[in-house]
Amino acid sequence: MNDASLHLNLLQDDERFGSSPVRARVMIPLLAVLAVVGLGVWWLLLIARVGNATNEKTLLETHCAELKPAHDQVLALRAREKEARAAVSQLGFYRTARIRFGDVLGHLPQHVPASIQFTELRVPPPPLQPPPDPALKVKPLGPTNLTETVSLRIVGRASSGTSSEAIRSLLEALRKPAFTNLVRKAEIPKGAFRQDIARGPAARENILFEISCDCGERRFE
Amino acid sequence: MPRVSLSDSFMKPFKACSDVTGLEVGADLSEGVPAVRLRKSKGQVEMVAAGFLDLPGALPMLSGASEAQTWRLPAPFRAPHAALAIRSPHASLRHTAGGHGETADRAGSLRSVSRQTAPETPPLVASLPEFQAAWAARLLPEGHRPTACSLQVAAAAAMGGFAASSALAQAGGHAVALFVFAESTSLAAFQDSRLVFYREHAVGMDHLRDAISSQVGIEPELVDSVLEDTLIDPVPVIEPILRPLYRQIEISADYLLRRCKCQVEHFFVNGLTVGGAHWATLFKSVMNQTMTFCSPFDGIGRTGQATRLPEDVEKRAPLLMTALGAARTVLEDV
Repeated sequence: MNDASLHLNLLQDDERFGSSPVRARVMIPLLAVLAVVGLGVWWLLLIARVGNATNEKTLLETHCAELKPAHDQVLALRAREKEARAAVSQLGFYRTARIRFGDVLGHLPQHVPASIQFTELRVPPPPLQPPPDPALKVKPLGPTNLTETVSLRIVGRASSGTSSEAIRSLLEALRKPAFTNLVRKAEIPKGAFRQDIARGPAARENILFEISCDCGERRFE
Repeated sequence: MPRVSLSDSFMKPFKACSDVTGLEVGADLSEGVPAVRLRKSKGQVEMVAAGFLDLPGALPMLSGASEAQTWRLPAPFRAPHAALAIRSPHASLRHTAGGHGETADRAGSLRSVSRQTAPETPPLVASLPEFQAAWAARLLPEGHRPTACSLQVAAAAAMGGFAASSALAQAGGHAVALFVFAESTSLAAFQDSRLVFYREHAVGMDHLRDAISSQVGIEPELVDSVLEDTLIDPVPVIEPILRPLYRQIEISADYLLRRCKCQVEHFFVNGLTVGGAHWATLFKSVMNQTMTFCSPFDGIGRTGQATRLPEDVEKRAPLLMTALGAARTVLEDV
């Protein structure tokens, strides 16, 4: 304030008014009341929304409890369906992996000399699989390996003086194109070519033999 | 204990007045209510509007007989704040021996406020009847521009305007000034632009007019033309009236010489619309000094409506001395 001023103001503090149409002394309490009312309304709305949400939660929980047995049943059916589907799939694998011996073996008599008698014609079972992991909950329905070795074992006897030629001609026949679709490799294992001494001296001219054929692999895909 | 309301606490920082309309209430001029709008921008005071407003400007003279009024000012005068200068025969402005500072005595029927205007000078006390002050404070209603921020007595407002004028500054702050009103003339002495001496004489322009009218024998309406032209010499009529006033000016000059050891060389006259030449001639013969006549518009820049004021307003600018002084006093007291 200017000390030399001649401003001798006779106006009292309570006679000073604002020229703004928006009066602070009216607007401030009004805004305060509106703010409190607004907060109250917001609080009431919040309480109503919380109540609604709680009711909805209770209803949903009740509904869920009602649906629980049916849901468990659906889950069990799904598990069974999955199990059956796996079995069907495994069966499909077996069907596609099946090796047809019939047609090939149908040609075999033509190539067997008269002096040869088959005593055994056998497809040995595949080697045993390791036991399944006991930790597995679902035990496999079949072999879990993708391939399986298949072999054919022919055991017989030759009764003529030329038995060794007859057996060799049979072995060569098995290597001919008529059999190569099935027989990939045919051989006489060591020690499988011997005299038949078990049936007495009269049968000493007979020769026992064994031919092992590798028929390749069948694939489970 | 002063009351401090919450809204006051919020609003006071924003109450610095930089745009004020000064109004002189109770002047009872035929032209209207004197009004001047001033604005302070970057330290410079400029006049935005000035004129005489067609408003009922008569003050109530009796307590309880006053009818409340509200004023709506024309758009150019709608500043945010207004400074009201009250011209009342019941108002007083005088030096007093007691009291310092801006303390208001509101115990009685008079509303008073005092202020020390210079060191080692008795405080200046302004007083106004409570009913007139309360009536004037309600003239400008809340919520409309302007609202009152200051209520002053007319003489103090006029002196405040002169104290901030370029005329006093150019005089080096040492001067004796006359403020001529209708019913009285105020005499003020300034030292370093501070008021050090104030007196009021019951001689005004109306006394001169009445004397000329009665002694020359003309209608009161023609007195101003007598004072303006040279057909009749009014000096013999006005000399007995002005001589005591000039004697007081001489005493004031002596007071300043004793107080500050400086010879007063500047004598200003404010508020005189006609007859200045006769005042100066007589002053020259009595005091052997030159009298300078001031216009309240001197040294103030103009903008807005004030750049093209009507000719009659320019001619009667001295009558706006009090209204302009009220506004300027507020602007300078920030």
